[in-house]
Amino acid sequence: MRYGFVVDNRKCIGCHACSVACKAENHVPLGVFRTWVKAVEVGRYPGTRRYFQVTRCNHCDNPPCVAICPVGAMYRRRDGIVDFDASRCIGCKACHQACPYDAIYTDPDRGTAAKCHYCAHRVDVGMEPACVVACPEHAILAGDLDDPGSEVSQTLGREPVRVRRPECGTMPKLFYVAAQEAAIVPGHSRYVGSYLFATVNSAMDGAGLHGATLTEPSTSAGAVVAYDVEHERPWGWQVPAYFWTKSVSTGILVVPALARLFQGAKLSGRLETVLSLAGLVFMGLTVALLISDLSRPGRFLNVIRMPQARSWVARGSFCLLTYGALSGCLFVSSLAGAGDVSSVLLWLAVVAGVPAAVYTAFLFRQCRGRDLWQTALLPLHLLAQSVVASSAVLALVPGRLGLTPELRRAAVVGLAAGLLVHMLVVIWDLVIPHGTVGARRAARLVTRGPFRTTFWAGAGAVGCGVPAVLLAVSTTSALVVGLSAAAALVGLLAFEWCFVMAGQGVANS
Amino acid sequence: MQEEFGRQGSQLQSHPPVARWDDWTEYDPQAWPRRAQRHYRIVPTLCFNCESGCGLLAYIDKESGEISRVEGNPLHPGNRGRVCAKGPALLNQVQSADRILYPLRRNGPRGSNQWQRTTWEEVLETLGSRVRKAIQEGRNNEVMYHVGRPGHDGYMERVLQAWGVDGHNSHTNVCSASARLGYALWQGADRPSPDYANARCILLISAHLEAGHYFNPHAQRIMEAKTAGAALIVIDPRLSNTASMADTWLSPHPGTEAALLLAMAREIIGSGRFDAGFMKQWVNWQDYEADGFVARGKSFDEFITALAKHYDRYTPGFAEQVCGVPASAITDAAADIAAAGARFSSHVWRAAAAGNMGGWQTARALVLLHALTGSVGTPGGLSPNTWDKFVPRPATVPPPQKQWNDLLYPPEWPLSHHELSQLLPHFLKEGRGRLDTYFTRVFNPVWTYPDGFSWMEVLRDEDLVGVHAALTPVWSETAAFADYVLPMGLACERHDIQSQETHAARWIGFRQPVLRVFAERERGEKVRFSYETNPGEVWEEDEFWTALSWHIDPDGSLGIRQWFESQEKPGTPLGVDEYYGYIFSNSVPGLPEAAAAQGLSPLEYMRRFGAFEVAGDVYRLNGHAPPGPGVEGAVAEGDLLVKDGRALGTVVGGRPVVGFATPSRKLELYSPTMRDWKWPEFALPEYVPSHVGPEALAAASAAGSCPAPGQPAVPGLAQAHAPGGNSWPAGVPAVIWPPHAKGEVMALVPIYRLPTLIHTRNDNAKWLFEISHRNPLLMSGADADRMGVATGDLVRVHTEIGWYVIALWVTEGLRPGVVACSHHLGRWRRDRDQPMERWGSSVVEVTEPAPGQWMLKVKEGARPWPSPDPDSSRLWWSDTGVHQNLAFPVHPDPVSGMQCWHQAVKVQKALLGDGYGDVFVDTNAAHQVYLRWKDLCRPAPGPGGLRRPLWFARVARPAPEAYAMPAAAPSRFGSTESAPLV
Repeated sequence: MRYGFVVDNRKCIGCHACSVACKAENHVPLGVFRTWVKAVEVGRYPGTRRYFQVTRCNHCDNPPCVAICPVGAMYRRRDGIVDFDASRCIGCKACHQACPYDAIYTDPDRGTAAKCHYCAHRVDVGMEPACVVACPEHAILAGDLDDPGSEVSQTLGREPVRVRRPECGTMPKLFYVAAQEAAIVPGHSRYVGSYLFATVNSAMDGAGLHGATLTEPSTSAGAVVAYDVEHERPWGWQVPAYFWTKSVSTGILVVPALARLFQGAKLSGRLETVLSLAGLVFMGLTVALLISDLSRPGRFLNVIRMPQARSWVARGSFCLLTYGALSGCLFVSSLAGAGDVSSVLLWLAVVAGVPAAVYTAFLFRQCRGRDLWQTALLPLHLLAQSVVASSAVLALVPGRLGLTPELRRAAVVGLAAGLLVHMLVVIWDLVIPHGTVGARRAARLVTRGPFRTTFWAGAGAVGCGVPAVLLAVSTTSALVVGLSAAAALVGLLAFEWCFVMAGQGVANS
Repeated sequence: MQEEFGRQGSQLQSHPPVARWDDWTEYDPQAWPRRAQRHYRIVPTLCFNCESGCGLLAYIDKESGEISRVEGNPLHPGNRGRVCAKGPALLNQVQSADRILYPLRRNGPRGSNQWQRTTWEEVLETLGSRVRKAIQEGRNNEVMYHVGRPGHDGYMERVLQAWGVDGHNSHTNVCSASARLGYALWQGADRPSPDYANARCILLISAHLEAGHYFNPHAQRIMEAKTAGAALIVIDPRLSNTASMADTWLSPHPGTEAALLLAMAREIIGSGRFDAGFMKQWVNWQDYEADGFVARGKSFDEFITALAKHYDRYTPGFAEQVCGVPASAITDAAADIAAAGARFSSHVWRAAAAGNMGGWQTARALVLLHALTGSVGTPGGLSPNTWDKFVPRPATVPPPQKQWNDLLYPPEWPLSHHELSQLLPHFLKEGRGRLDTYFTRVFNPVWTYPDGFSWMEVLRDEDLVGVHAALTPVWSETAAFADYVLPMGLACERHDIQSQETHAARWIGFRQPVLRVFAERERGEKVRFSYETNPGEVWEEDEFWTALSWHIDPDGSLGIRQWFESQEKPGTPLGVDEYYGYIFSNSVPGLPEAAAAQGLSPLEYMRRFGAFEVAGDVYRLNGHAPPGPGVEGAVAEGDLLVKDGRALGTVVGGRPVVGFATPSRKLELYSPTMRDWKWPEFALPEYVPSHVGPEALAAASAAGSCPAPGQPAVPGLAQAHAPGGNSWPAGVPAVIWPPHAKGEVMALVPIYRLPTLIHTRNDNAKWLFEISHRNPLLMSGADADRMGVATGDLVRVHTEIGWYVIALWVTEGLRPGVVACSHHLGRWRRDRDQPMERWGSSVVEVTEPAPGQWMLKVKEGARPWPSPDPDSSRLWWSDTGVHQNLAFPVHPDPVSGMQCWHQAVKVQKALLGDGYGDVFVDTNAAHQVYLRWKDLCRPAPGPGGLRRPLWFARVARPAPEAYAMPAAAPSRFGSTESAPLV
């Protein structure tokens, strides 16, 4: 048993009955949709057509929303329906990022994720989904793909079909007969500031970026989007800030530890206390930021109580927990002056910092709806960012807290080396041609779109240019090093902002 | 009867099995995946949003006793369990926080929007005594009932005839008068019933995949045919969703559609691909006269030769020149139509017929294609709607009224179809009469009609309108000008019987107050009146009219009360159970038997299942013998069977047949009626130029502004000739621009519906407004490039009487030279806190700086507000569209009386200070336009001194003697000299 949908675009007349029947059946609030009918006008008069596309959850065989969900709130039933359990959901919105179809929203009343669930509550009493019943044209077919005699299987056998975004590897089970290129491929049609009979929902955070999205040349050039719906940008400012605080926290012990290992630099107990406290504080900030971005923050412990093992949100939480615990122990032992224990704990913490720094790359990899984030260099990049951020913070630590000149030099080396890697990766990710259209569009939002000032001036000039110039002038002056470090930290935050926000800025519908 | 609703190739059902409708269990979607069971009773009713009358099922939660949701009724033959977006949105309408729940009485000057709650008893007392007095004083014509959306087959005719009042006014002439006249001239019945499902070629001039009579049922069947391989041809200047689905989209210049159709007809005639056998038997070819040829006494072949010669002028090349559609596309379409033969189906409703002067010729040209292909009454063809619409007879029927109300059917338009309702303000201004008591029901002319400010002028005048009672479930711009606002039930809160010609079958549907049914059946309560179970003090009309009639004639002395008295319990008011119980038991063939088979009474059957198919596969009724009892005593007059001066049938192939409901009992290609009623030049289907046709636009471009004071009020008429075709003898009314009107002259197509909305009746549906809330002006890319404007830019659109400011949507889905705008949006309220459909209305300021000079300025768009519904604080759009109808003058077609909606407009970039949604109107200019159009009429009397041909349909048909025109008919309104009174 494997339920799927076939939408026959040859029959869809764009009446929106399915959208409204769904709202009625599932009590869907204003502003969000479980299913909607995208419309695109294509062609030049008189060779013009308006194409409709029923747009919703694809009930993927390989559902990325399920894989990423840290608490198992999204799940695939044995009959192939991808359902959700709002009572578990913590509102982390990772599923929104994972879905390459913009099918998931946060319910404004409950603060939990919701989407088309194939009207599973109806299916379990033997009834078709509400949209299928309402459709005046029987353009939406629901049925068992494993049954060769079912209407969906028969249609799939007879008609050429397409799915949305097959390149994402999600194995979608919503098949379109007679799909139109300009409608099915995001970015192949232009957004013109409003729709034919509706305005753009500017109350949605992510809205407005539609207009900034540059249209790809395609066979349907000139196509205009006559109707679509907006999707809230899932993650807010907390997430770029989380990148930044986490980089500081997870790397703060690395440079001193390496300096001690290779240069025999001395690491005073006092500095150990300061640094482990800094790691702990920044880790606390990191966790606080993450929790504050949850739409159900009160449920954050669900991640620990009911973790979903494949989710990098859950795995990452444990990475953070481990690192935080070790930093805490180090702080206590250094405070207690237990030098030997501290040496062991230092190395344990340094090692634990690596997964805590890097896991986000795998989490972002699970965000299948965000092409920009699919970069293979992200683990390396996160390490480099961690080195940059922590070296900068280290360089800013006053000498009276135990920072020796050697350690300051080590920090400068870390800062310079980290920045170099960071710059190379950014160039690689944003300038070298991209493999996917979505990544290219997102990169253009950064380099030429609404993020260009933050990127070029903030991440580029301030974050890389200023430190490079200053460090060429002097690597010993505390003032120059301090300024370089501050600039690098500002630039890094600017970069995180661009990377996280622009990554979410490309619509998937 | 179907009991279960599985689909082939699926283990899932679309609807619960009928046996479980009384107790249906589902899981609560909000608790899911926790399996919380909810128990429902499923009660059927009918939708009341558009005119289709689709069957709905209300799921009533047994615990809360409230409607949980609404789905389609699978037992309804029209919509077969499926709905459009408006069906499930009924729930929004029921739950709307802005509903009117209690009767309200004006508490301040009329139109000031100050209200106080009153009692129904006071309402009935006041209105009843007013109507009683008017009837007693012989002022029957001062009582008027004006309905926007009917859906209550035959009910109000019965009420008004019981009162002896010729007072039924409707919305028909802003909707369908020209299509009706065109169809009526051919076949008697004034509406078509296309059998789309079985067609091989479908030609649509209207947009039946998104709107129109009858959107959802028709869209299902059109797409069924298309899926089975039928060719779909759509004629529309605009790329409607329907045109978008077509195999062939032809976008002629607006108003030239008849030329396109006649070119197709010419191709079919010229190539001999017509059905000669059908033509010979079923077309009144013997009446044909044209170009000096008289068919009577000649052979059919000679007629065909003459016909071919006459229509030869409409070559595809000619049509290409007039319409701007390639000749080859016309030839191809003609080939598709000819190939489909008797399986050719078509429709024109609203659209070109409603937009253009002479739109009835478009309908006639369309039916000509059916006469030629023999596709009338056939499977896959086109039938008269009367074959497929079934109106059952109630227990008692009062005699027809003896009055004729000139405010409804004025002498200038003897052929109108039907009431000249859009002219009511001008008639009242001219002093043709006054209204003592004016009932409006689901009727919002201030907003929906052209020239709404003239309506406001009249409605606020207490001398012209004595008392205005607005019967409505929702607030409207018009209700604001009432003395009483009377809340009436929505689709699931009242009784009606409705039947529509959705396909080649006859069915009735039963609209009922579902909570009343629930209370009676589920809870065993005895409900006497529907208001007991409706929210607040919301009444249903049936019970209102009965109660009001008792107040009009409390002692029965006027002879009115008897029609509203129970026969089961004499001396008590007629109840809905008795009224409908009688009809279902006695007037619906087959229903008693079907009910008995279920062990139910006919009334219980309808309460339980909501619909009944009276007959399926209704075809070729024209070939049936005339009905036995009626034909006894009929005598043959030539080919006709005549009784009491009326033709009941004809003889075809030596056999008596009922034929069609025309004087000749044939399809009337040549209309003796048109000839005899002073329009001999239009006795045949022809192309006549529209008031927005290419020539008229050219004239409008060249036209100047208003004449200087002292010059004649009504300057000449623009001559517009169809090259090779016939013309309006007096030309089309000249467009006279106000001095401030600047910009490019274009044809405005202002009448199209969206699939999600229905005029002003569903602004209380948040789910629909979320999807559709703005109506930009569509302009073609070519025109926009030339004018240097782009999507989102504001433009001013000037009409003859004013202007409005609107945003552009530049599209390739529109013919260049044409602009288009849906009439669906632009609702307004004058008070922010007025609970008028806040999902879909903006707050405006209406001022009248000088008499007849009206300005409407938008102060604030839609915005969130606190209410028990959390969605009201989530309202996220502010744009609610632009109210364009205000700036349109009345354009009554001189023959059909149709409001010819299309406008010659001037479009210019918005001026400094123009705000989105601003409207300016000069109602004095509006009255002048009315006079210019009225001048083209050819008034009654017609032959026999009649006001109207006796064979024409007429709403609430009066007694025959009322048709006689009084000998000295006053002609004071025939002159253009009369000045408006205000």
